[in-house]
Amino acid sequence: MPNSNVNPERNIRVATLVSVGQHPKSGRTRRAGQDARAVELGLKMAGTASRLIHVGDMAEPALRQYLGMGLPQLSVLQAGPDADAVPALATHLDEQPADIVLTGVRAESGEASGMVPYLLAERLGWPLIPRIADIQTIDNGMAEVLQALPRGQRRLLRVPLPFVATVDNAAPEARQYAFGPSRRGNFAVSLANTTADDERQQWQELPAKPRPKRLNVVKAKSAADRFKAATAKPQGQGGKVIRDGTDREKAEAIMALLVAEGVVR
Amino acid sequence: MSDIIRRNPRNEWILRNRLHPQHDELTAGSGPVRGPTGLLRKNPHAVGFIGPNGIKRIDRSAGTQGGAGGLSLRARGRSAEAAPLPLHRVEQPDFYVAVVVDLAAGRLSNHDRDVLGQAHQLVKAQADQGAVVAIALGEIRDAAFDTTGADRLIHLTEVHGQPLTGYCPELKLAVLRAVDTELAPRYWLFPDSVHGGADLGARLGARLGERPAVQAWQVDAEQTVCRGGSHRTDWQRPTARLLLLAEECALPIDETRHEARPIELAAIPPVAPRIEDLGPVEVDPSKIALGEAEFILAAGNGIQDWGQFHRAATALGATEGASRVAVDDGNMPRFRQVGATGTWVTARVYIAVGISGAIQHLQGIGQCDKVVAINLDGGCDMIKRADLSVIGDSQGILGELLALAEARQNGTETPPVTANTREEERNVA
Amino acid sequence: MTLDWLTPILLVTALILLMIGAIRRINLWRAGQPEPVNLIAGLLAMPRRYLVDLHHVVERDKVMSNTHVATAGGFVLSMILILVVHLFGIDSPWLNGALLVATALMFTGSVFVYKRRLNPPARLSKGPWMRLPKSLMVFSGSFFLLTLLTSGFLPENFGGWVLVAVLLVGVTLGLAEMLFGMGWGGPMKHAFAGSLHLAFHRRPERFGGGRSTGLKPVDLDGKLGVAEPRDFKWNQLLGFDACVQCGRCEAVCPAFAAGQPLNPKKLIQDMVVGLAGGTDAKYAGSPYPGTEVGKAQGSPHQPIVEGLINADTLWSCTTCRACVEECPMMIEHVDAIVDMRRHLTLERGETPNKGAEVLDNLIATDNPGGYAPGSRMNWAADLDLPLMADKQEAEVLFWVSDGCFDMRSQRILRAFVSILKAAGVDFAVLGNEECDSGDVARRLGDDATFQSLARQNIATMNRYRFKRIVTTDPHAFHVLKNEYGDFGGHYDVLHHSTFINELVEQGKIKLDAFKGGTVTYHDPCYLGRYNGEYDSPRSLLGALGIQVSEMERSGYRSRCCGGGGGAPITDVPGEHRIADMRMDDARKVGAETIAVACQQCTSMLEGVVEPRPEIRDLAELVADALVVEAGPAPQPLAEEVH
Repeated sequence: MPNSNVNPERNIRVATLVSVGQHPKSGRTRRAGQDARAVELGLKMAGTASRLIHVGDMAEPALRQYLGMGLPQLSVLQAGPDADAVPALATHLDEQPADIVLTGVRAESGEASGMVPYLLAERLGWPLIPRIADIQTIDNGMAEVLQALPRGQRRLLRVPLPFVATVDNAAPEARQYAFGPSRRGNFAVSLANTTADDERQQWQELPAKPRPKRLNVVKAKSAADRFKAATAKPQGQGGKVIRDGTDREKAEAIMALLVAEGVVR
Repeated sequence: MSDIIRRNPRNEWILRNRLHPQHDELTAGSGPVRGPTGLLRKNPHAVGFIGPNGIKRIDRSAGTQGGAGGLSLRARGRSAEAAPLPLHRVEQPDFYVAVVVDLAAGRLSNHDRDVLGQAHQLVKAQADQGAVVAIALGEIRDAAFDTTGADRLIHLTEVHGQPLTGYCPELKLAVLRAVDTELAPRYWLFPDSVHGGADLGARLGARLGERPAVQAWQVDAEQTVCRGGSHRTDWQRPTARLLLLAEECALPIDETRHEARPIELAAIPPVAPRIEDLGPVEVDPSKIALGEAEFILAAGNGIQDWGQFHRAATALGATEGASRVAVDDGNMPRFRQVGATGTWVTARVYIAVGISGAIQHLQGIGQCDKVVAINLDGGCDMIKRADLSVIGDSQGILGELLALAEARQNGTETPPVTANTREEERNVA
Repeated sequence: MTLDWLTPILLVTALILLMIGAIRRINLWRAGQPEPVNLIAGLLAMPRRYLVDLHHVVERDKVMSNTHVATAGGFVLSMILILVVHLFGIDSPWLNGALLVATALMFTGSVFVYKRRLNPPARLSKGPWMRLPKSLMVFSGSFFLLTLLTSGFLPENFGGWVLVAVLLVGVTLGLAEMLFGMGWGGPMKHAFAGSLHLAFHRRPERFGGGRSTGLKPVDLDGKLGVAEPRDFKWNQLLGFDACVQCGRCEAVCPAFAAGQPLNPKKLIQDMVVGLAGGTDAKYAGSPYPGTEVGKAQGSPHQPIVEGLINADTLWSCTTCRACVEECPMMIEHVDAIVDMRRHLTLERGETPNKGAEVLDNLIATDNPGGYAPGSRMNWAADLDLPLMADKQEAEVLFWVSDGCFDMRSQRILRAFVSILKAAGVDFAVLGNEECDSGDVARRLGDDATFQSLARQNIATMNRYRFKRIVTTDPHAFHVLKNEYGDFGGHYDVLHHSTFINELVEQGKIKLDAFKGGTVTYHDPCYLGRYNGEYDSPRSLLGALGIQVSEMERSGYRSRCCGGGGGAPITDVPGEHRIADMRMDDARKVGAETIAVACQQCTSMLEGVVEPRPEIRDLAELVADALVVEAGPAPQPLAEEVH
């Protein structure tokens, strides 16, 4: 168990918003990766007392995968596929308050604008922290949160409770979901107070077109330059090979590349 | 200066007169010689040199002359005296397009440039005249706003005495709201990036009640195509006022200069930030997950001295990786295994020490930018993949690399040996 | 005479104690889950199972077999006669003579047992088992002398009170070990539990030359796998008690040899500890490599992985069935291990290492690698394979398996397709409709995913008409053949080695002689031990003109490559790699080529660092040796025209 050594804080109320994800290759529905990490973080913070909230259809089988992570219940705010989730979530959180609301950065299907946590935070008037990797401490109504930066870097932020946070892929991996608990877990279904997202009805959803790779456009001023650009050996066709020389020279060649790439400062 | 070729009769005269004391200087160093019509002229007399026996010699092994050769020098001369780009001036804009650049580490990223390029495309598509206003929040270290397309520039390093450093989205949002009130930009453009653009854009969207177009990658005045979840769908929608643009959404500006005229904001609403930045956390490179690591030093079967390998990784600040064999032999933990059966890595620089490059391993490093191979076997597959390969004993080379890295850390860098290393270009299909 | 009245009392006491112990023991087994077994038929079949089927296994060790026949036969005979003669007091010289012969026979056997225990191999358990030969000798010797005395073969008062005292002690000790010990968990428990285990075996098909290797399905609405010892079926618990700790399983276990924390014998003994309650402190055999003995403790209602055994032990198993094949008591180790894995995966979600990812992929993409399900046929883009969806009907359904995503396995698949085409076989593939067979999911304990994959595949196959299925993957072969039946999928499935061999025998393909060095053949577990196919691959190699240099462990004793049971996925660290050990086996016979018949074996063996023998699948060897006849492709047709 990745987090078995952390004592969950029972009096912290954590609510995790979960969505239905999809597998990038097969397109089949599944638990969404970042949402599952959020659930994992919720489990670490509040154990099985942390809540799961989903706006959508309880008949979606992928939702059971969240229950399979060992949580007894998932609150489903029953709504149609085109419903706007934010009002429903805001109402629900007003009725059943939470200290921390976690969710993924972006959904895995649909528009995936990643706006839900922002709109929710705006609506609730809570601060929002994007892309967190961990919540380190909660002390005196303040949480110290580790934010994930690109390339494995981290930043520590302090924020007062309650707050909304989106969970980055850098957060600890979600535990495996198991068939037994997923079968036993139950849904607390309530009818959501939502409005249809009419604006999106006007949009067109198409299968993703492959984006063209940007070509290295050579803006040559002279014929010679154009000629050179057209005939130059393309990059990446085999690299430089150093066979002779002392170890020192070879190491220096490598070091020069490392410095040029900026990985060694 | 312009590109129009102008004749210099005096130079022409000197060039014609081989006995003129300045003749040699001009013919050798002045680059292309232009005839009266502006055509390039070759001076057969200027070619070659007088050998020791007094006979003229022409060295046709182009390239050995290095920088002194004809073409390269000419090319260099050209780029050095590149004509300044035409200035694009907007005196009285009818509207603004606001571009909030990431300015990660104080620099304009390619993504920022693309977004600025997109902004100009949107301006061009309008009937009236617009100006692109770049909003740079935080220290600028190295950013040329004029050549990247900023007609106007709002640059702030602090708000109400609070510096715009680290993570301060609330302060930045206050600035953006002030911009919105004062300039009422027709479009708000953000790079949809992890460096803050996506976050700030979404915040502004939520605050203004504007529904942003996220991951937009094809934008014109009417229609926007956004990439949907898991990159599986495209959403075609009317172009929104707030756009979070994907990378390579448009070509950057490269043919015009812009004024980058500063704009002062009249008033920024007061803010009390709730999020407090406690600063970056020291991250041990060896603790970074392989998939995230930027710089990986990976070990394979060819490593004899594991202590040295670990020291080298520490000294270079690299994350350690390993081939399957190294893991199977128990020299490295399983979670360090790189490859199709281990972790797929995305490092910018990947050094493979003593890894011959099994197909699964090469698959796993497919997304790495620069691959360096250190190997005894010059014919192995890793060498074919690598951008730089050194053939030799890994222990010795790693040892020298370790020494170099330590020298850099201690600031006692020794001057590089300038022996004439014979390098070989290999063309591997 | 004292002995005349004391012996029956001792006998009755011992028998009563045996009874009490036996009932206690039976109740321990009854704590397990119900499993319908035909008790009467089982008991009736028991002698035959014992004398024939069990003997076949024991006989692999000739000396030990004879020893056991003498000792056990002598004991059973003596015991019956002792009851007749000494308890019921029927005095007949014939009976006495027979009893003398029986005890003498038993004594002789015991001497051999004793001799083996003088310098026992490491696989044998010590502890109480070291005492057993002496107890056997004491028992048989005492009753021999006692019978001599009581039957009047010796003069009255021979030996005086000293002999009487000695005999009394001997008889008491002997009865204590043989009868009391039998009921109360002594080494002789194996005779009592063993015979019942044979009678009520969970896989009666294994007796009488049959084979039963498919895993039993989980009732997904009931208990998911085994968490506590009492979650086993009652006859599984009984089976654990039958173990004689001979350690043959330990000697053949690839994980044990590789230093992974698994020892099948210790595992079964831990199950015994679990079913009876207590600790493993009395265990006197080899431990799980790297684990200290004496720390484990369990009880029937304590979770097994919390205190009794480590989960790593369960995940070390490659499900190669070598232990089951070798067990003289026909204990089903693999069933037990998979049952416990099922709990870990289905209830706890604790499949280690890449396990969770692989299962996720199987659920989301129907293949363990997470590749797009629509790219299943990419490997054959240039082969123009007939699709079942187009043909609806074919002689042979070629089950491609997940090898289609692996570049190495694709070479095997292509080779096999070239053979199919050369032989003019009417075949078709399912293409993108095919799903993973479910083998990996099932061995990793995820029976829910297995069942859903199986049902999907069966539904797909039911839409088409074909006579038989051929596959190059022994794992898929086994699952399709032996495990889909529980879900209504009954097929005639052939492994490609069998099928190609048939083609050769029918003269449908002609082969050149193999040109190359020494060749050895590695039996895949799921082809050999699971399905008994040892001959076709060898006969096929023979058709190629290859004299197979057999490795020390081949045929039913073949050593696993380490690739089965999801072992490469769960990847429990050991001291060696199983594949390396298998490669050493091949090097020992100087093989230059290892012929294999499984893509998993191929990838495991090719994972061994070079230099090493070359690994070739049978299909590749055959495809290389195919004699392509000139002229129009359908050769037989052309001949008919003439």
